[in-house]
Amino acid sequence: MSDRPAADGLDDRSRPGVEEFVTAWATALHRAHYVPISAEQRRRIVAGLADRLVTAVLAEPGEPGGGRRIGTDLVAAGFGSPEALGGTIAVIGSRFLGELGITADPTIAARLNRLLADLAAGFTSAAHDLSLRAQDTVRLAALAARTQAEEALRVSEARFRRFATHDQLTGLPNLTLLTEQLGRLSAAQLPIDRVGVCCLDVDDFAAVNDVLGYQVGDLLLREIADRVGALTDRRIDLVARLDSDRFAILVRDTTCAGDAVKIADQALAALAAPFRVNGTEVPLTVSAGVAEGTVADGGAATLMRASEIALHWAKADGKATLRQFDQDRSNADAERYRLSAAMPAALRRGEFTAAYQPIVALRSGQLTGVEALARWQHPQLGLLSAARFIELAERTGLVVPLGRQLLEQACRQASRWQRVQPGLYVSVNVSVRQLRRNGFAGAVAQILDRTGLPPHLLQLEVTEQAVIDLTGIVTETLAALMKLGVRIVIDDFGIGYANLANLRSLPLHGLKLDASLTRSSAQPARRPGARRPGTDDDFLSTVVSLGHKLGLVVTAEGIETAQQARRLTATGCDNGQGWHFGRPVPPHEITARIVAQQHHDAVSPGTELPALPIQQR
Amino acid sequence: MERPDWAPADVDLSRPSVARAYDYWLGGSHNFEVDREFARQALAAVPDLRLVARANREFLHRAVRFMLDEGIRQFLDIGSGIPTVGNVHEIAQQVDPDSRVVYVDIDPVAVTHSTHILAGQPNAVALLEDLRHPEAVLDHPEVRRLLDLDRPVGLLLVSVVHAVPDQDDPYGLIRRLWTALAPGSCVAISHVTTDSRPDEMGEGARLSGRTNTPVTARTRTQVEDFFAGLDLVEPGVVWSPLWRPESSADVGEHPERMSFYVGVGRRR
Ligand SMILES: C[S@@+](CC[C@H](N)C(=O)[O-])C[C@H]1O[C@@H](n2cnc3c(N)ncnc32)[C@H](O)[C@@H]1O
Repeated sequence: MSDRPAADGLDDRSRPGVEEFVTAWATALHRAHYVPISAEQRRRIVAGLADRLVTAVLAEPGEPGGGRRIGTDLVAAGFGSPEALGGTIAVIGSRFLGELGITADPTIAARLNRLLADLAAGFTSAAHDLSLRAQDTVRLAALAARTQAEEALRVSEARFRRFATHDQLTGLPNLTLLTEQLGRLSAAQLPIDRVGVCCLDVDDFAAVNDVLGYQVGDLLLREIADRVGALTDRRIDLVARLDSDRFAILVRDTTCAGDAVKIADQALAALAAPFRVNGTEVPLTVSAGVAEGTVADGGAATLMRASEIALHWAKADGKATLRQFDQDRSNADAERYRLSAAMPAALRRGEFTAAYQPIVALRSGQLTGVEALARWQHPQLGLLSAARFIELAERTGLVVPLGRQLLEQACRQASRWQRVQPGLYVSVNVSVRQLRRNGFAGAVAQILDRTGLPPHLLQLEVTEQAVIDLTGIVTETLAALMKLGVRIVIDDFGIGYANLANLRSLPLHGLKLDASLTRSSAQPARRPGARRPGTDDDFLSTVVSLGHKLGLVVTAEGIETAQQARRLTATGCDNGQGWHFGRPVPPHEITARIVAQQHHDAVSPGTELPALPIQQR
Repeated sequence: MERPDWAPADVDLSRPSVARAYDYWLGGSHNFEVDREFARQALAAVPDLRLVARANREFLHRAVRFMLDEGIRQFLDIGSGIPTVGNVHEIAQQVDPDSRVVYVDIDPVAVTHSTHILAGQPNAVALLEDLRHPEAVLDHPEVRRLLDLDRPVGLLLVSVVHAVPDQDDPYGLIRRLWTALAPGSCVAISHVTTDSRPDEMGEGARLSGRTNTPVTARTRTQVEDFFAGLDLVEPGVVWSPLWRPESSADVGEHPERMSFYVGVGRRR
């Protein structure tokens, strides 16, 4: 193993005792420190070192640095632990000279001591270096690990962010990103200060999913996303998918609403081309809502909401169309919503009352009846006329209890009036909803019972609409009411499409002509040779005589002037109603009028009572 | 919003790492003061912990040599730790330079260090993966590239299974791992127990709660159960020094003090 010439002509390895010494050293090392090598390998390494040790001790003069290198090599072979050094020093100190039969003269002893000192120094310095190297590497590893983790975090955060701000199906930005972007536009002091939001929504998309399956639905949504995403107008800031079938386009640098509408029109045009899935055409229409305005002071968030309100209008107005946000309409919507929401409590609190409008016999000018009209004594808004709330009540169904309450009030009032003017009738509006309910006729009978009003003095006004399609229940109710002896008249006659056949088949009492017929229109330009009633008067006479031919009493509404009253009288119309004869008023005013009329009749019978001064509004 | 599960792990150098403490017990210097502080506390509880670590490491080497003798040339070493003397690829490549080794650990520093050591080694890689996600390990492109799962693999789970608590279903995880391997594959497991030294090792296990990978010690039967479905190689599940020692001198008087149950199973 060693190529050094043997000192003193002696081969160190064959020196007696070397074997034993190597065994002792190898065992000490193995005990002190684990190196994953076989016992044989270990022995070979130790034998080489022992060999160099012998030479170093016996060499004359001593090889410089020999001991140091043995220490270094021990560490290099893997035996770098403090225990390995300790074991080595112990074995050499206690067994080296003895095992090898070397006499410990002072020179040898001193040389061995120096050798051990060198070995220890070499060992520790190598172990120290090794340690420092290990520290360097582990620090670098930690640094690298940290950088990698940060990089991975960055990548995953980017993925996470994309995931959080984009729609997975179409890849478009989602509501979160759109909202963020709007927020940015609001916050930033950018040269742009107006933006538009176009909200697009597929009409009846749920049906597509239901009938064709959501896979087809998804394909369509992707196609829609592609088409809208392909719009190239430079003012388009981003296209987002908000939720299932709703998309939005954010338009920047607008100067007016028209700019945003133009973009929405482009989108609708792009979506108007037929959609095909697997070769078959899927009919689709899209509605759009557009809002445009300033983004300053949180306007952006409002715009988003406004575009959705406009979209809602587009849907309500028949779909497949575009609506632009309009603050007045929105205010009116909101107002109506508030009223509608307040109504049930108002009904409980008794805020609904009736006002009564006179109906007079045109020929005599005598008061013959009154129409009861609903009024809402609103705590904040004051007295509201039926026009403000009846339609809402119809929509929510509240019209049913409201109508009944009104009916009862009106019957009770009319019953009272019988004492001052026997035969005065009261006319009350009845909604389709009420007619369609089971038991309406029964309820009317009970009210008549309770209030003591003779049935023929109650007149119910139903709309043309109510008798257009006479479904079973409506016909039954009407028949039951007539059997009670209650009069039924058609209200607002002449503006809808009354089924004339129904007019004949129903045992009606009369017709109320809509105010639009009563007021004279501008004389139509007469086309030469055209066969048509020459004047409004001709037309009115025709309608009135139609009513009479059917045996119906005809009442004209909306008479506002003496001239109109004369015209109507001339046509043979039976009764009149309108401001000319008196506005809707609280019941005591009607009472006063009755009393006044009776007084007048007593003084100068046969002359017409002048119209009362207008007392309300 | 909840963070999705592909968010990476953080590198927390203020917490002791078992990988680096183990390096310290084995006499290495790939560790930081925070690791050494923990390692010294553990030494106070278990004064011969260095020997325990060494006996475990020696088992790893004997198991690898056994598998090499069985003709196995590809190894999947999960919980490989900080590279130290006698890394698996070194031992395997002494026998066959074409041997392939995939190291897996959840300790990012251990993995970057391993990667550094393995630079220029075409047949060995280190991956940052988790024993608790066997499919992620098995389906890792590097695993697929280096290991041929149609041929026997040496699966090394040495001093790592006790890092998996019961609620993570260690039995199921290990079964999922070896069922993906070809017949003839071998599984080596070494596992901490408090059976022989309940007080000292119990304290050691308690201390491990401060590290990134706390320890769940298990009994002999519980360790044997990990080999259910495998053919246990002689001498079965035994104290670490007793598993096929090179010489009786290596065993020592109290092998039970080494507090590791070890064993090797073969897939039928
Ligand atoms: C004590 S070391 C063992 C090193 C080597 N296997 C040995 O026995 O010589 C334990 C290693 O397992 C790793 N470890 C702990 N839990 C792990 C998991 N769930 N997946 C992968 N490695 C894990 C630790 O990071 C640590 O490096």
